[in-house]
Amino acid sequence: MENKAVVNRIIPFSNVDGPGNRLAIFFQGCNISCIYCHNPETINRCISCMACVSGCPSGALKTCDEGVIYDEKVCTECDRCIKTCRYNSSPRAKIYTVDELYKIIDDYKLFIRGITVSGGEPTLQAEFITELFKRVKPLGLTCFVDTNGFFDRERISGLIEAADKFMVDIKAIDNIDILCGTTMKNNIENLKYLLRLNKVYEVRSVIIQDYMDVENTLFTVASILKEYPEVIYKLIRVHTQGLRDEQKEKVKDKVPSAEYVRQLGEKIRDIGVRKVELII
Amino acid sequence: MRSKMSDILDVVTSKGLTYQQKLYNLANIAERLLDPREILEYTDEEMMYIENDMICDLNEGYAIYRPRYIVPDYYVLLSKGCKFLDLKPPTDLDELLDSLLILYNHVPSITSFPVFIGDLDKLMEPFITDEEKDYIKIKRFLNHVDKAIPDSFCHADIGPEKTKAGELILRAIIELENPTPNMTIRYDKDITPRDFALKAAEACLRVSKPSFSNNKKYYSDLGDHRIVSCYNALPHGGGAYTLPRLRLGTIVKGVRSLDELLSDRLPKVTRAMASMIDKRIRFLVEKSNFFETSFLVKEGFIKRENFSAMFGIVGLADAVNYILKLEGLNEKFGTSKRGDEIGHSILKVISDIANSHEGVYCERTNNRYLLHAQVGASLSQEDYDNTPAHRIRVGEEPILPVHIRQASPFHEYFTSGTGDLFALDQTYLNKLDAVLDIIEGAFASGARYITTYLHNTDLIRVTGYLVKKSDAFKAGQGHATLRDTDILGYGTNDRAHVFERRVRVDGK
Repeated sequence: MENKAVVNRIIPFSNVDGPGNRLAIFFQGCNISCIYCHNPETINRCISCMACVSGCPSGALKTCDEGVIYDEKVCTECDRCIKTCRYNSSPRAKIYTVDELYKIIDDYKLFIRGITVSGGEPTLQAEFITELFKRVKPLGLTCFVDTNGFFDRERISGLIEAADKFMVDIKAIDNIDILCGTTMKNNIENLKYLLRLNKVYEVRSVIIQDYMDVENTLFTVASILKEYPEVIYKLIRVHTQGLRDEQKEKVKDKVPSAEYVRQLGEKIRDIGVRKVELII
Repeated sequence: MRSKMSDILDVVTSKGLTYQQKLYNLANIAERLLDPREILEYTDEEMMYIENDMICDLNEGYAIYRPRYIVPDYYVLLSKGCKFLDLKPPTDLDELLDSLLILYNHVPSITSFPVFIGDLDKLMEPFITDEEKDYIKIKRFLNHVDKAIPDSFCHADIGPEKTKAGELILRAIIELENPTPNMTIRYDKDITPRDFALKAAEACLRVSKPSFSNNKKYYSDLGDHRIVSCYNALPHGGGAYTLPRLRLGTIVKGVRSLDELLSDRLPKVTRAMASMIDKRIRFLVEKSNFFETSFLVKEGFIKRENFSAMFGIVGLADAVNYILKLEGLNEKFGTSKRGDEIGHSILKVISDIANSHEGVYCERTNNRYLLHAQVGASLSQEDYDNTPAHRIRVGEEPILPVHIRQASPFHEYFTSGTGDLFALDQTYLNKLDAVLDIIEGAFASGARYITTYLHNTDLIRVTGYLVKKSDAFKAGQGHATLRDTDILGYGTNDRAHVFERRVRVDGK
C-alpha cells in the first residue's frame, strides 16, 4: 500500500524552522499534550464528529459519508473550525502521498534551502518522512526534523539516518507529565544520542513558571550543549497570544518576566553554551 | 501632453512647490507649449494617441535638449579629472567626493538632476585609508547628495564585488535613512561574497535599498551597463534618449475581443510609439546640439554611440483583467493561468514590433529600442486604470512563491529594466539568509530585479524610487516638500495603493 500521511498544513516559505528559507510541513498527530500548546489542532486525527461543519461562515466545510469535506478555495482561514473542535483536531488536515508532497516541494525548490517536518510530532510518521527525505535530497535540499525528543530510537533509526539535522524542543526534565501529559522521559537521552551523531541544529525550551523546573531543565540542557559549540539553544518566553481560553487561564499567571529570561540566557552563556537566542 | 499658457500661473502661484520645483516646472511647461506636429513632425495619428492617453510621453516635452537618462562613466574623473570644471584627478577621498559633488551639478537628465551618480563603492575604494574617519566623510557625502539632489531618481550602484567602501556605504545608508540616492547592488552569487550580500539584504530591509539586480542576466543582455533612476538598465557611458510608454489599461478600453486588441489596436498604437521615438531621437541628435556642446561628450564621460531608447509599457494587469472579463472569467491577473497567457500574448505583440523596428542612432543596442516596464505616474485620470508595469494589482497578490513564479517570466521582455517589490514582516531581520534565499530563487527563475523592505518602515520604495511615507502625505496635503518625488509618491499611492502591499509572513 502506498505510504500516506495526514498533514495539518504546509508553509511554503518559513524563516523560523531552521536555517534560511524553508518549506515547513506540519504533520497531524502528537504524542504529548502541553499546557501551552499553540497549535492543539495538530494533536489528534479528526473523528468526523462534524461539529465544525455548521459553524463554518464561508461554507468551506461539507459532510459526506466518509466525514468532512474541506474546500480550500473557499476557506478564509478564519480558524472558526479549529476553535469549535473539542477534540484537538482540524477538518482542514489533508492526506498526502510522498509523491504529492514531493511535487509541491519541487515546485518551490528554487526559493528554499530545505524542508523541515514538524507537527504535531513528526517522528510518529517516521516511515513516511524517511521515504520523503530520500526523494527530496537529490533536489539539493536539506531535510530537518522538529521533534519533542520523545521517540523510540530503534523505531525511527531510518529517519535519523535520512535526516540532516534535528531541532529538539526540550519541554522539561522533571514532572514532564504535569506540563505535557505524558509519562515518557527519554527526551534528554535522545538529545544526547542525536548530538553524538552530529545531528542537532538547535535545541529549544519554552519557559513557563511552576509547570516546569525551569532552572534544572535549562541548566541540564546547557551543560550538555556546552560540548557542542555549533548547536543553538533558543529560550522562548511562553506567551498567551492565540491560546484557547482554558489554556490562557492556566498560563496567564505563569509567564516569566523578560528580565528573568535574560538572566537565564546569561547563566546559560556562563555555563558555556556559545549560541544562545532569546525570544522574549 | 502639451501644456497650456494657464499652467504657468498655476505653477508660479502654487503653495505646494518649492522655488526650485517651480523653476524646473516652468522650464518643462515651456518645452511642452510647442506643437510637436510642427517641431517633431508628429502625425495626427501619433498626436491622437497622446491626446487620448493611450500613449504617455511622461511630459518629456517636444523641444528636446538633453537625453532623458545620462549614465556617465565616472572613472574618467579618476583618470583624467575634468577640464571643463577645472578638476584634477583626485588624490584622496576628500578630493574625490568634492569633485563628484561638483560634477553631479552638471549632469543633466529629464528631471535636471543626475539619475546615475556612479559605482560609489569602486570609485571610493582606492582612497579608503582609515575606516572610521572615511566613514564620517562618506556619510556626510551621502547626506549632501540627499539634500542637494532633491530627486529620488538619483541612483548609485555598488557591487558585485565586496569592497571596504561598499561596506561603509551600507552602514551609512542605514544610519541616514534618506530616500536619495536610490541604490542597487549588482548581485552575482558567484562574485558577491555571502557576508557582503547579507549586509546588503539587511540594508534593503531596513531602508529599502540597495535593491538586488541580476547582474549575470543583465550583463548577457546589455553588456557593460548600470542600473539608474528607478531600476533602468542602460549602457554605461551612455544612457537613454527618451522613454514614452503604452498605457495598456487605456489602450484595451472598448475592444471587443483579445484578437481585436492583438491584431488591430495594439499594433497600431505600438507602431506609432516607435515612430514617435524615432522623431524624438532625430531632433535630439540632429538639431538640439546636445552632443556637440556637452563637455561630458567632449571629455569622454558619455558617448553618443552608447545611447539607446526605451519602449515603455504600463498597466498590463488592467489590460488583462479587461480581457478576462470579456471572456467571462471571474479571475484576476496574478492568479489566473489564462490571465498570464493573455499577458504574454500582449507583450509578444509589443516586443515583436519593437524588435523588428529599425531604430535610429541606437547602434549600441543593435538599432533596437529596449522594452521597459514603466512603474507608473500620476499625470492623467487614466493612470488610475494603469497598474505599474506588469505588476499584480496591490490587494490581489498571491502568496510570495507563487507571486515570484508568476512575475519572473514577465521580467524576460524588459531588457532596459523591470522589478518586483515585496514587503516583508519584521521576522526576516533575524533571518537575512532567508531573504537572500528568496532573492536567489527569484533570479534562478529568471527575475531581473528584486526589492524587499519591512512593511512598517517610513522609508519605502514606491514603485522604483524611494520616499518617506510621512513626506509623501505632507506633499499630498499641499505642503511644499524638499523632493519632487514626494508628490509623485503620494499620487502613485493614491492610484496604486503601494503603501498597502501584501505583507509577507511565512511566504504568504
